[in-house]
Amino acid sequence: MRKRSISMLLVLVWSLALALTGCSGERQGESTDSQITIGIPQDVEDSLDPHEAVAAGTEEVFFNIYEGLVKPDSDGNLNPAIASDYKVSDDMKTYTFTLREGVKFHSGKEVTVEDVVYSIKRCSDENDPVKLVAAFLNIESIETADDKTVIIHLKEPNADFLCDMTTAIIPASNESPSTVSDGTGPYMFVSHAPQESFVMERFEDYWGEPAHIKNVTLKVCANPDSLVMELNGGSIDMMARVTSTQAAQLNDNFNVLEGTMNLVQALYLNNGVEPFNDVRVRQALCYAVDKQYVLDMTADGYGTPIGSSMFPAFGKYYLPELADYYTKDIDKAKELLAEAGYGDGFTFTIKAPSNYTQHVEAAQVIAEALKEIGVTAEIELIEWETWLADVYSGRDFEATVVGLDASTLAASSMLLRFNSDSSKNFINYNNPDFDAAYARAASSTDDAVRTEAFKECERILTETAANVYIQDMAEFVALDKKYAGYEFYPLYVQDFSKLYIVEE
Amino acid sequence: MKKKRNFNLIAGGILAGGMLLFILAGVFFLPQDPETMNLELKFAGMSLSHPFGCDNFGRDIFSRVMVGARTTLIVALGTVGIGAGVGTLIGAFTGYFGGWLDEVMMRIIDALFAFPSILLALVVISLLDKGKYQVILALGIAFIPSFARVVRGQFLKCRELDYVKNARIMGCSSLRIIFVHILPNTLNVLVPTVMIGFNNAVLAEAGMSYLGLGVQPPDASLGRMLSEAQTHLFSQPLYAIFPGLAIILLVLGFSLLADGLEAK
Amino acid sequence: MKYVGKKLLTMLLTLLLVSFLVFLCFTVIPGDPASARLGTEATPEAVEMLREEMGLNRPFFVRYGDWLLSFVRGDFGESYDYEMTVGELLADKIPITLTMSLMSMLLIIVLSIPLGLYTARHEGSWADRGIYALNQVIMAVPAFFAGILITLFFGILLKMFTPGGYVSYRRDFGGFLAYMFFPSLSIALPKIAMTVKLLRSGLISEKKQDYARTAYSRGNHTGGVLYKHVLKNAMLPILTFLGMTLTDMIAGSIVVEQVFSIPGIGRVLLTAISHRDYPVVMAVIVCLAGVVILVNGLVDLLYQWIDPRIRLEAQP
Repeated sequence: MRKRSISMLLVLVWSLALALTGCSGERQGESTDSQITIGIPQDVEDSLDPHEAVAAGTEEVFFNIYEGLVKPDSDGNLNPAIASDYKVSDDMKTYTFTLREGVKFHSGKEVTVEDVVYSIKRCSDENDPVKLVAAFLNIESIETADDKTVIIHLKEPNADFLCDMTTAIIPASNESPSTVSDGTGPYMFVSHAPQESFVMERFEDYWGEPAHIKNVTLKVCANPDSLVMELNGGSIDMMARVTSTQAAQLNDNFNVLEGTMNLVQALYLNNGVEPFNDVRVRQALCYAVDKQYVLDMTADGYGTPIGSSMFPAFGKYYLPELADYYTKDIDKAKELLAEAGYGDGFTFTIKAPSNYTQHVEAAQVIAEALKEIGVTAEIELIEWETWLADVYSGRDFEATVVGLDASTLAASSMLLRFNSDSSKNFINYNNPDFDAAYARAASSTDDAVRTEAFKECERILTETAANVYIQDMAEFVALDKKYAGYEFYPLYVQDFSKLYIVEE
Repeated sequence: MKKKRNFNLIAGGILAGGMLLFILAGVFFLPQDPETMNLELKFAGMSLSHPFGCDNFGRDIFSRVMVGARTTLIVALGTVGIGAGVGTLIGAFTGYFGGWLDEVMMRIIDALFAFPSILLALVVISLLDKGKYQVILALGIAFIPSFARVVRGQFLKCRELDYVKNARIMGCSSLRIIFVHILPNTLNVLVPTVMIGFNNAVLAEAGMSYLGLGVQPPDASLGRMLSEAQTHLFSQPLYAIFPGLAIILLVLGFSLLADGLEAK
Repeated sequence: MKYVGKKLLTMLLTLLLVSFLVFLCFTVIPGDPASARLGTEATPEAVEMLREEMGLNRPFFVRYGDWLLSFVRGDFGESYDYEMTVGELLADKIPITLTMSLMSMLLIIVLSIPLGLYTARHEGSWADRGIYALNQVIMAVPAFFAGILITLFFGILLKMFTPGGYVSYRRDFGGFLAYMFFPSLSIALPKIAMTVKLLRSGLISEKKQDYARTAYSRGNHTGGVLYKHVLKNAMLPILTFLGMTLTDMIAGSIVVEQVFSIPGIGRVLLTAISHRDYPVVMAVIVCLAGVVILVNGLVDLLYQWIDPRIRLEAQP
């Protein structure tokens, strides 16, 4: 009891102090107490250590608190952040970063080259699977030329290395990063009540354009079914990734913004098991499913049909024509099945993660469509964690409907997993042509050659019907009309610093 | 007094009978295929061919309620069957014999009783193949303790009664005493318990579906339909009404029936 | 006293059994905390390494023994998900669910006893029949659906509370209590219906007992007999029922917390189960089971205290 009253007092004193300092250093047009409550579908569960954050829901929040040497923008470019400039050698083996002047951590300490080296080395330890950034295994050495320059030497050329330099920089002096948050982002961490709320506050000494809204409260809205009621009831101001069904039920207080989820939703097939080890069977399934029909059924027609493991936001790597490679053709599908020896059809099980309504619904529509070619798909709902353990890590499945996104802005983050020896190749895809094309892309330093090789990979995936590709799902953001400024990113992040309050 | 007693029995009988008839009719005749999707009919309103309208996939809600009610009924009956069957056996033996067996079994029953049914459901579901049968088993196990306790209580009371003592003196075997002499005398308590158990099973199935642990799609059950309908509650309230109504009528019918029987 | 001692011992034994069963369950169900933590970026090697690090590769009995030892010492371990001990996590969440349970218990007692007395006294009246019918309907509505209907009606339509507008008890205790009213009501409603029904039939059958008739014939007015003698006897089954209700309420709070978006024990348990956060699951279940076992034990003792005729062994 006593302990609590002391901490209450501290909070009081602290907020008073903040109010006082806030008054003196006020920027124009920004009110001191501007605030927004944003719903998040799952708790920020991991520790405050950005290097230990693996859950997508946590990473998208940490995007506002931590930054790397470079930072992605909403157009998919990598811009200098903590580094003001960088140089890449022609052989793609040496990366030189110059630190920006006067970038401060939330604790007030300036970012030094030691912090940068410390942070990168911290994520290079192969014995620490949680923190490890796979691309960092390729690092031969890191050196500091002067107190503003960091040079990273790679063992093998890597044109995509910059994409992983978004890895958060944290102070080397912080002894317990998991409980003490200290980053350089536009927001700083204030408090976290498990399953309840995650509170952030604007960082006034931010090196770039500071955030507009001072206080951001993230509220855990774990139950998608009561979400609409919470939005309509006014307890949250913004929610990202609502479904078209939910968006349709919102009242007039909300603007609904449409973007894309930037993921590849597909009926992923285990290429290593009967009958999906036969390319004709996989192609038959592709011919049986009308992508647009799935969109119409599950998302009121919103979304972008796609035909390979790449989504439109990737710009130069994306091949729109692949979406029409297979058009619905029941006769052809039946023919292919007959050729493969499954003229009478077969039965298989689709494992779908029960918490993702859209994937479950898509699975139901696909199962219904497959009846037309005599194939029976039984649906089995499993928890996401069971999915991760059994389907993803264990590869114990026949087919599953999920959406896979990109962890970085590199094309490899979508395609690497189909390499026959990739440990992430959970569909057991095995195609020498693909491996060769991918190897060509990975080893080349010429951008044109790389792009063409990646496109080749995509084409091979489509032609061999690696999976029944469906769509890049539409994303809807519900935002109270009092606010504006939401920006969609090609990555799984949320940028709260761009939000502002609309003048009445 | 007398008049009211009849009312419960009659009203309950009509409701429960009507629902059973409705479900039975669905076994032989369904107006539409409950799984066929149709884009044009997405959230179609009530019409002659679709008396309850259509759901988010354009499936006929009337047919789905028919099939769903059947699934729910099977789940509830199965659950009560397992719960009452095993529960009665455990209760009868422990109550009659007592001793260390009683102690051990009662501790297990207590533990089971204090155990969250969700976790139990998760375990059963993960150990077995999918389908509605694992729901039955999970709920059935969760229902054993309450039946076991009720029956045990009755047996404890009865085993000291004169007619049981007489039977024992006359050399009846224990099994005979348990099943022929005592068990029929517990029926007055057991039957209402079964009825209430049935209702709880219907409601529990709905709760499991809400938490995503119920029957698997595209199979319909009333609970599953209700929780699916919840997603569209603001724009399509119609969707929720019929499965909800079916649950309420089913439970109401059986609980009135139970009251009527109990009062008799 | 010997009876109390024996009772306590069996209660402890039951609790031990529960803890063992939960632990066993978790080794059996698929999904493991290591892959749950690493997500879609996981590689099999990384998962294996993390499993080793988390001590998940040790034999079952070693892990259980380990857990039991620290539990006995009062150490619930550390959450896999949160950078805090399970004790801290629970200390933060228990008040929420406890408030909800107490509030609904209060609602049950405050509403059902008068209603039960009234209906028993005016047996056969229109009000009695109306309440009976209402009770039956309320009992037939699934818990989560009742919660949704309450939210729709009181929250969206009447604007008596903000759906999802939960306020932390640390920040604003009044607002917290105000928000908890409707969730508590949705837990309490079906239980009220059942208690009223049980109390009514109990009172009516007691009323016909000889002692009550004697009291009437001695000139006591109906109300007096009802309150003084009959109620006390009719309370016995109600007590057992309320004891059992507590278990139901804890299970019910899981669903209601989902519907009303309350970050209480139920939600912690649900997420911990799905994230395979064993230390949290173990602690929550063992604590909940402890409460259930304790309350049922107390009810047994109370029962005996109210009516010492009841044979000790004859407790069903």
